[in-house]
Amino acid sequence: MKIRYRYPAMILVALVVMLAAVFAQNQTYTPGEFQSTNPNYPKPDPFYFEGRIDWNLLGISQPQNAWDYMERGIHYQDDMDDIPDAIADYQTALSMNSLQNNTCQIVTAATVNKYGGTLPAQLTPAPCIFTLRLRLGYLLEQTNPATAIELFQEVLQIDPQRLGVNTLIAETYVSEAQQSTDPTTQQQDYANAVTAYQAELALSPITPQSVALTGDMANNSKVHWELAQVYEATGQNSLAESELESYMQATQWHSDDYPWRVALAKSQIQTLQMAVK
Amino acid sequence: MRVRYVNAFVSLFLLCALEPGCGTQVQSTDNPPDVQFKPQQFQRPENCLPCHQRQYDELHGAVKSGYRNVSPLFNGLESAGNLVSGGLLRPVYHDSTIVLPDGTVLNTNMYSSPILTETRQVQAGFCFTCHNADVEILGENPALREVPQLAGLGTCNPAPPAGQQCFQPQQFRPLRDYIMVDSNGNQVLPTAPGGAPPNGAQPSLAAAGITCDFCHDENGPDLKRSFQMDGFGNASLLFNQSDVKVGPFQFPVAVKGGFHVASNNQSLVAFLTAGAFCNTCHDVRVPNRNLTAEEHNINQGGQNVSYFRLENLSTEWQIGPYNSTSNPFSQVVRCQDCHMSLFPYAGTSTYQVGDMTVTSPTPGVFATDYAAVPGVATDQDAPLPLRKVVEHYFTGVDVPLMSPAELSSRLGPNYPDPYATGADTHGVPNGLATRREDLMKAAVRISLKKSDTSAQLGQKFTVRLEAVALTGHRFPAGFSQERTAYVQLTVKDNNGFLLYQSGYVIDKPHPNTGEMTPDGNLNDEDLEHLHAIVDPGVHTATYTSGTGTNGGNNLVFEVGPDDGPDARVYVGAPEGLVLFRNELTHIFLPGQPIGRTDPSTGAAVTAQGVHFEETFQAALANSVDNFRSLQPLQPRTFDYEIELPTTQQMQAIGVTVQGPLHVHAQVNFEHFPPLFLRFIASVTSASGPSGNNLNLMDEQRIDTYLKNVESIASDDATVALTP
Repeated sequence: MKIRYRYPAMILVALVVMLAAVFAQNQTYTPGEFQSTNPNYPKPDPFYFEGRIDWNLLGISQPQNAWDYMERGIHYQDDMDDIPDAIADYQTALSMNSLQNNTCQIVTAATVNKYGGTLPAQLTPAPCIFTLRLRLGYLLEQTNPATAIELFQEVLQIDPQRLGVNTLIAETYVSEAQQSTDPTTQQQDYANAVTAYQAELALSPITPQSVALTGDMANNSKVHWELAQVYEATGQNSLAESELESYMQATQWHSDDYPWRVALAKSQIQTLQMAVK
Repeated sequence: MRVRYVNAFVSLFLLCALEPGCGTQVQSTDNPPDVQFKPQQFQRPENCLPCHQRQYDELHGAVKSGYRNVSPLFNGLESAGNLVSGGLLRPVYHDSTIVLPDGTVLNTNMYSSPILTETRQVQAGFCFTCHNADVEILGENPALREVPQLAGLGTCNPAPPAGQQCFQPQQFRPLRDYIMVDSNGNQVLPTAPGGAPPNGAQPSLAAAGITCDFCHDENGPDLKRSFQMDGFGNASLLFNQSDVKVGPFQFPVAVKGGFHVASNNQSLVAFLTAGAFCNTCHDVRVPNRNLTAEEHNINQGGQNVSYFRLENLSTEWQIGPYNSTSNPFSQVVRCQDCHMSLFPYAGTSTYQVGDMTVTSPTPGVFATDYAAVPGVATDQDAPLPLRKVVEHYFTGVDVPLMSPAELSSRLGPNYPDPYATGADTHGVPNGLATRREDLMKAAVRISLKKSDTSAQLGQKFTVRLEAVALTGHRFPAGFSQERTAYVQLTVKDNNGFLLYQSGYVIDKPHPNTGEMTPDGNLNDEDLEHLHAIVDPGVHTATYTSGTGTNGGNNLVFEVGPDDGPDARVYVGAPEGLVLFRNELTHIFLPGQPIGRTDPSTGAAVTAQGVHFEETFQAALANSVDNFRSLQPLQPRTFDYEIELPTTQQMQAIGVTVQGPLHVHAQVNFEHFPPLFLRFIASVTSASGPSGNNLNLMDEQRIDTYLKNVESIASDDATVALTP
């Protein structure tokens, strides 16, 4: 190429390249690579994430550990309505996070400081997962109540103060009692249910402070309602009446999912009072 | 031009074009950057007003502008965090003499630390940095400093070095006390902490919050400040304090009088107009160890800084369908396309999401207008082109919890009324409250189509509610652990008799904040899934940080009758409240006090195992569940297994249930949980740890300004009642 054409050509090429570069810059912007690890997959530190993470966000092609199996089980249960596969995954998860085969532990001690205490990043074996036990136990309540109760009791080993677990135990005993034809077994199941319900109430007691702060003279209406039904079923009418009174107090400012129960409780109290007289 | 110069010129072009870092990629540079233009200090937005009146007016009423800085909620939350930590969330500056336990001096804050290697650096100015990074930068000059470093940060235990005082909670002031000046521009403070603005007080630069300069002085992302080196969160943004302003346009017009020049840096222009720009602040990562998800600063030397994700909005968008072409609009839908466009006032689109057919507003439609005031803004009155312009309302889920008069007293006269009527020249409503409601109504859709079609008394039947979020992020987002969206669902018989309810509220007294009888207002009532009251703490003569006397733990924590969230998440039970709110969790370790006392012994109740409990004091959270909110464009079905009463039960109360049954479901949005606001009210009251009434929140403010948005989506179904 003659020299007189060379530079104009180079300038032309340079301008084309430059304009192309400018044009390209206007289309996208990359400030830095988005983090390399999946922000939705939690690495235990040292406790597992308890609860549910949307399965599509986890990027798990094949579950590798107890938590992975639990999350897939939740996906089957919540998203696919596939209870058999959910139970199977929960059971696999449990086999990998089990007190019986020492693949999990109950954490009972930690170095506590004012902000939250200190724990190593990893515990060996790993901490036991309570969501797994609650989910599997719930699905086994009707078909295998004994195992369900064992699982719920393991949750109480992990966290004795977790609300609602004693209620699940009680409900399982009530279910067993209702299915039983043996009066002795039935009485024992109901007695166990009462014990569990009372343990639930003890976790959130009415105190002078709570009354002053809330005005509530009773709480946990669901437990009071259920206890009343148990007492009524076992012929303990005065206790049933007492629980219904507590139910009325607990619903005063909170009503109920089933609001007709409030009117029914009032009616039942009158009936029980007449029966006692 | 001689050939050799041409040659050099061409070579330079070629080298530049071939060099990947030349213009195509913003490099993370030390702040302040090497400024090539005339230095120009951060300015008040009023300076931009003459040429950009429309943008000024729109930004004026945006909550991220003035309101956030005087907000009783924001100030209360920041105060609560400081009162439990001993002021650690306030900025420190280069002249700080604070010595950390490892012997190093803490004299850089969240913005000025080159690499965040210490948790205390992240804490220093943690809230202030995103909301007022420019003012924090100026604060390195003591003469320009608005928010001072507090004395005795942390505690009196151990005692501070000789000559220095302990943290003095009674001297603690909310941030908004500092952002007022007199007519000479000198800072003026209320007489008492939290007091009324002094006579003649005017808003300072910090009172303007996110200003024009905050965005248009951007100089690219600061990858070193972001914990994952990706420009996400915690104000990972560089500023260029010069007269060059970054706008969105190619070929900007020359500005009159050289007040500023418009940047031609195409990389910075692209950054400003990308979602990446918003990402720099709309992930908020709190420097507390997360006991269920290990994440730490991956910058060199940052491994000791662990964090949990409070706001996770930007990450949600980044990995979501709207940051791709796999969405109903087949194009990337940026933050700007919904929050700076005519959305939701520019027509609708109908599309399929799963098995739901959805009609919703179309994003990414912009008004055509002048970007500056014609005849005023350009050199030699050069004509301005009509362009596609953005709105600067930044409408989101927030409205001020203050009256227009209060807002004007702190932010200057003529503050826009959030409840104004009418529309602007682009057809966008003037009132923020209206815009918020319309935005919310574009956020989610529900369907009851999959519910059982028949039911029988004394038996269970199942209502199946399908819900899908149409937002670019999860729904709700932002401070999603308190922002509350939920399903209110009722089942009634044909006579209107209520058989089942979920997502309901009851008018009741609130003795803890002085409301002794029900007040007829339902907006100030909490949902019935949980009864909680948070310990506000008490003032003590000698300050000790932590929850002991400063509160934060739950004094009352009980299961309510509508406890769907926990039952659904942990147990998998198909019952109770469907709550899309995320959750902050405090994991108490064995032996740690959980905040309540044993009624029989009076002793502190301690955790007997590893105890997970929802917390409403973000500073105490050490785990977070950000997956209770709805994913964008991923329908989810929530079952309600409902037990109908028996005929005998109904006879006992004199009711005959008549079919068919009517199921109604609606999604409601609650600004904040009232119990959270009541905690803020108590912790900042005179009986709280500061010993002063900081005048931020009280029952009256909650009753007056907490306005929820009901029925942003709804559906109905009919269920036959069979014998």
